[in-house]
Amino acid sequence: MDKKKNYAIKIDHVTKKFKVYYDKANTLKERLVFWKNKKNIEERTVLENINLEIKKGETVALVGVNGSGKSTLLKLMTKIIYPTKGKVEAVGKLTSLLELGAGFHDDFTGRENIYFNASIFGLTKEEIDKKIEDIIAFSELEKFIDNPIRTYSSGMYMRLAFSVAINVNAEILLIDEILAVGDQHFQDKCFQKLKELKDSDKTIVIVSHSLSALRKICTRAIWIHEGHIRMDGDINEVIDNYLKTCE
Amino acid sequence: MQLIKNLYNYRELLKSNIKKEIRGKYKGSFLGILWSFVNPLLMVAVYAIVFPYIMRVQTDNYLLYLITGIIPWNFFTMVINQGMITVRMNAGIIKKVYFPREILPISVASSGLVNFFISCLIILLFCLFSGAGLSWYLVFVPFLALIQYFLTLGIVFALSAINIYIKDTEYLVQFFLNLLFYATPILYQATLFPEKIRWLLYLNPMSQMVDAYRAVFIYHQLPEFSGLLYLIGITIIIFFVGLFIFRKLEKGFAEEV
Repeated sequence: MDKKKNYAIKIDHVTKKFKVYYDKANTLKERLVFWKNKKNIEERTVLENINLEIKKGETVALVGVNGSGKSTLLKLMTKIIYPTKGKVEAVGKLTSLLELGAGFHDDFTGRENIYFNASIFGLTKEEIDKKIEDIIAFSELEKFIDNPIRTYSSGMYMRLAFSVAINVNAEILLIDEILAVGDQHFQDKCFQKLKELKDSDKTIVIVSHSLSALRKICTRAIWIHEGHIRMDGDINEVIDNYLKTCE
Repeated sequence: MQLIKNLYNYRELLKSNIKKEIRGKYKGSFLGILWSFVNPLLMVAVYAIVFPYIMRVQTDNYLLYLITGIIPWNFFTMVINQGMITVRMNAGIIKKVYFPREILPISVASSGLVNFFISCLIILLFCLFSGAGLSWYLVFVPFLALIQYFLTLGIVFALSAINIYIKDTEYLVQFFLNLLFYATPILYQATLFPEKIRWLLYLNPMSQMVDAYRAVFIYHQLPEFSGLLYLIGITIIIFFVGLFIFRKLEKGFAEEV
């Protein structure tokens, strides 16, 4: 039993294809009229036969050029999308910071939005009650927390969203290109928090292009290139190799 | 089973979503949530004028007869109309985070149920003032409402998922709802139909539903047993078929919406 579950995320022979519609036939008539015409659908393989195991407590960076399939891989892990072939398994409570502020409503106050946003991550009211002070304190928005968030600046908005996501106490944290939230002070704070989480045995997967930050946090890196894993190993080694091809 | 566990874990989201459905619909209007009750009353007013005086329909206590038909029907159509588009309306969060997608149709149906229970107060008022009175048979109302809840939820599961792939569903369903309205003895009595083809009318589960409500509200008797059995059977089938379709299609939601 223990041996079986010493991974947090397991990706088993996963292939993901997207259908690319040039002109999407969405109505019944179009489907009927064009049902033979397959020309305007193109299948694009974004990820092909990926095998990956991420152990519990690991902090992993996904690197690669734009459009290489990093974000798709992350989305597969969260079960927002499903693989065309293969299987994705995750053990433990998973939170994704793919896009911040999911379910935020402009007319509600910051406090109400914390409840709404956290409930999307699967927290109950009691759990949120316990954490709300931490969340507010982390966001440093005490003064504005009872104002509707449409009055917030975009930086404040992101700070609130990030504070919720990072405080929901997930065992697996998926982060997509959001290390650049807020001002320098807040960024440092986020960075500190990530380190803390890393030390508390959480599994973290980060997609980012700020390689220097990745070097500081992660221990392992996976380089994805055109839907394949090109390299998987020690963070510095992978990034060095990755940088060489970029020159 | 997995679904129930999932829903339990996400109960806070379910709760806040139901609240949002109830409050959100009439947000910004003066009467707000009161519209849910004013609307059926206005409908009743129109029919109560049109049918007895223009169409010369003769039914005892027609106003009560109408209201016991229209309020359950309103529950039915409101849930279908809102539920059908709920997945599309929530495209934003579907693309961003994972949560059990079933929550969306369930919140719509549940908000409809809450609305219906409140609307039942209107029916009770009409019962009292029209002289029909109240009886202990009213204890069956929540039971009937629950059957209707699962029936509509099953339909909404199927429609909300199909609507993502084929947008015509919305318009087709509009037409069928209109058709079904006249194929349900809401405005008229089923006895208007000759005996030979009346069974056809009762294939429609909503006919059985409305009849059952009337039995307990107006006539103070148990709903007809065979009809109720048919209704429960059909509800179970529709619910599970709907859920099956939803689960088959939900994996593609994030890509298709």
